[in-house]
Amino acid sequence: MKKTHVILIILIAVSIGAIFTSLSDSSTYANFTEAFSEPGFEFHVVGKLNRDKETIYDPHADANLFTFFMSDNKGVERKVVLHKSKPQDFEHSEQIVIIGKAVGDAFHANEILMKCPSKYTDGKPEITTTASSN
Amino acid sequence: MNTTEYIGEHLFIGQIGNAFVLLSFVCAIVATIAYFFASKENESSASWKNIARTSFRLHSVAVFGIAGTLFYMLYNHMYEYHYVWQHSNSKMPLKYILSCFWEGQEGSFLLWTIWHVILGNILIKTSKEWEAPVMTVFASVQVFLASMLLGIYIGNYNIGSNPFTVLLRQHPDFSNLPFVQLPTYLESLDGRGLNPLLQNYWMTIHPPTLFLGFASTLIPFCYAIAGLWKKRLTDWQKHALPWSFFGIMILGTGILMGGAWAYEALSFGGFWAWDPVENASLVPWLTFVGSAHVLMINKNRGDSLLTAFLLTIITFILILYSTFLTRSGILGDSSVHAFTDLGMSGQLLLYLLFYVVIAIILIIRNRRELISQKQKEEHIWSREFWMFVGALVLLISSFQIIYTTSIPVTKKILSVIPYLQDIERIKNMAPPAKLIEHYNAWQIPFAIIVCLLIAVTQFFKYKKGDIKIFLKKIYISFFVAVILSGLFAWALSLTQLFYILLLFATTFAVIANWTYMVSVLKGKIKKAGASIAHIGFALIMMGALISTSKQQTISQNSSRTSVESLSKDFSNNKNILLSINDTLKMGDYYISYSGKDQQGVNIYFNVDYFTKDEKGNYQHEFRLRPLVQTNPRMGNIAEPDTRHMLHKDIYSHIAYADLDLVIGDQSKKDDYTEPHNEMLSVHDTTFSSNSIIILDSLSLAVDKKSLSLADSTIAVAACFRAIDMNGKTYFAKPIFTIQNASIQPIESEIKELGVKFVFWKIHTNTNQIEISISENKSKQRDFIVMEATIFPGINILWMGCIIMIIGTLIAMRDRIKQYTAAQNASEQTD
Repeated sequence: MKKTHVILIILIAVSIGAIFTSLSDSSTYANFTEAFSEPGFEFHVVGKLNRDKETIYDPHADANLFTFFMSDNKGVERKVVLHKSKPQDFEHSEQIVIIGKAVGDAFHANEILMKCPSKYTDGKPEITTTASSN
Repeated sequence: MNTTEYIGEHLFIGQIGNAFVLLSFVCAIVATIAYFFASKENESSASWKNIARTSFRLHSVAVFGIAGTLFYMLYNHMYEYHYVWQHSNSKMPLKYILSCFWEGQEGSFLLWTIWHVILGNILIKTSKEWEAPVMTVFASVQVFLASMLLGIYIGNYNIGSNPFTVLLRQHPDFSNLPFVQLPTYLESLDGRGLNPLLQNYWMTIHPPTLFLGFASTLIPFCYAIAGLWKKRLTDWQKHALPWSFFGIMILGTGILMGGAWAYEALSFGGFWAWDPVENASLVPWLTFVGSAHVLMINKNRGDSLLTAFLLTIITFILILYSTFLTRSGILGDSSVHAFTDLGMSGQLLLYLLFYVVIAIILIIRNRRELISQKQKEEHIWSREFWMFVGALVLLISSFQIIYTTSIPVTKKILSVIPYLQDIERIKNMAPPAKLIEHYNAWQIPFAIIVCLLIAVTQFFKYKKGDIKIFLKKIYISFFVAVILSGLFAWALSLTQLFYILLLFATTFAVIANWTYMVSVLKGKIKKAGASIAHIGFALIMMGALISTSKQQTISQNSSRTSVESLSKDFSNNKNILLSINDTLKMGDYYISYSGKDQQGVNIYFNVDYFTKDEKGNYQHEFRLRPLVQTNPRMGNIAEPDTRHMLHKDIYSHIAYADLDLVIGDQSKKDDYTEPHNEMLSVHDTTFSSNSIIILDSLSLAVDKKSLSLADSTIAVAACFRAIDMNGKTYFAKPIFTIQNASIQPIESEIKELGVKFVFWKIHTNTNQIEISISENKSKQRDFIVMEATIFPGINILWMGCIIMIIGTLIAMRDRIKQYTAAQNASEQTD
């Protein structure tokens, strides 16, 4: 057997290994119902901030703790405890992805991704000074 | 239909722009066809070549025309054009006009096309007998790129996105807005401006460099395809090689600039976050490096031809794929800085598949020549063998990165396949939750192998090496590296095996290449490009290892004792709360936040770092000014500030700050916080955010007359003393009154502190009174929540970057020299 073939076999073996560990490392998107039925397992949950309920961030007490309520895509609402400081511009977020696990009656996240609508998509032009321009 | 006559619109210039767009597209098609016929090598090929050259030049002129038109519009703030309105505004300084130019997708495609056009014209001059086939492939790529700017609808399908669309005509969503009725709307319309995140010099230099890197992968690709097409399977490599070196240098610089940008100006918390967009440009660089090495060894070893083709072609395809990843919106959930979909992902995919299919067909057509070569057993102690292994390791490494990065794509593909689409695991597949650990677990072993190969491979001879001579040459470097890396590992107290191995491998690579340069090349710098580049690469890895493994978040909250009931799982204890003028211990430093100031849209937070000398006096070391950029429309963004020292960096950024406290100073003067209630006995103490408050006494001695109270009123005064953080004392005297069984408290405020007291209840049974305290928002104590991290040894990384770039530059010059020498020699023999 040629040495090139040996290398080729190792190459394929490692590649297959990469695929499989990526699969086992990969997390899953879930809704709250699923995440709470398997507490302690890591999930990505996509949802929206509930603006009617209070968000609590008291940096004087704990700068790394931020609590809010989020509804997942099925409309199920849960309390989310983010173990980080409150993200900039949190209120403007349109969609939130939280990464973490269900513990007790709250979803504890240590990572958050936000999509703010204005950042990447088109807004509408505004004309604010129509009267004064004359 | 809208019939308003608008005043002041410059519609003519847009028509010029569109004429250029169309011209560039048509000329690219003509050039492709003409070059195709010119490559047939018959009597008419010379005239075809003339047509091809002329149309490619016209195409070039048109591309520059598009760019010039767009720039002119941006420069003159012509907001009637959507692109100008969307990406610039009048407040913006001139230096950002260029950044606006390539902020949007259309502009960035244009930038890419411009580089292609420049490289294409160089190629016409230099490619000689290869011109016709190589430029056929090249021009066909230009057809695709030019179509990206067309903006034509065929049926419902949109081809390209045009940068010259007029806001009120071609954008139906705007036609309902009230100002559309206004003929003079332009007088008062301002653009949306550049995303504040992008308003810095990185945005001016990073995209052009990166896109030149992207563009430079096209030339080796064109040679490879032309070689397969014209069945000149070996000759193309020497032409492609100098360009590969050029591309590796530029693309590498572009990627590293991205890392430096992330580190200096974005709050990612490091120089590399394994973000999909970063990965998407790293992966083609890895395969590019692999392909250049295979091209090099093919002079001495014929049978890596297939690998040479594959790696060269894959590099360009990966560039297209990374463009697709970042622009199709498919990464939306997993990346912070991907573009949104402009409806061009289908087009990009078509473009990508076109070249994949062509490459596969051509390779199959040449399969016999590519596979059945002289079956000679390669010598295991030869340089080419280990270079080949190295190229393959780079290929697997890039495969692993692109595989994980592509999880959203895989998911999308699998979800259209019947049966598979119903499997929950596939339907809900998400990227690894611990992304960085996932990548590091794979990439550190690859980095170890690559660095070891970098260390030893140059000491082998081409073709047939002798293991004994090799060992004799290398053993000193090996032992020096063992001792040195052992010392380093001990000094850094590294414990993880893979970290120690990587430290050894990088040290070994640096020393061995240095030895090679001194002893074998005798210090001839001109020939030492490879060694220098390899030293640079090893230093990058070493710097990355040390700064990442030994990075230390010093901003852990030392003042806090509370909760964290969920313990280690969520020990995200990265941020520290810093009240104004407090001094807190943080790592080896004492830090103090002394206030903020606003410059334009930026709010700077002044954080002073002190050390304590033996006598216990604070020594001011330095001040960091992390900032928050305000932009109500696009969101506020924190930018870090970093103290650079020789052996370490201190990096800090604002995680949270109540910005209303800043800007609102005066407007908040009537705003009070929610009052909080306190039950107090005499001599009890309570707090406001800026003072200690003591109830000194209760007194009946109230001057009722001056308060115009009746004599029959019962009035009790509570005498408060408040001490602020400077030790200054203030007094307040809220009064509790009862007149005809109705309670009428008279509030009292300490204006200097903004603390308001209302005395509203007396508990006679416990001798306590109830007081509600509220604070004026403008007087509240300012605070920030900050993260600070020490990156030790990060300068090794930056030094490595520069050394690697210089090394590649030297190698490129050497290759060009060899190449032109060979060309001249062959011309003389002809």
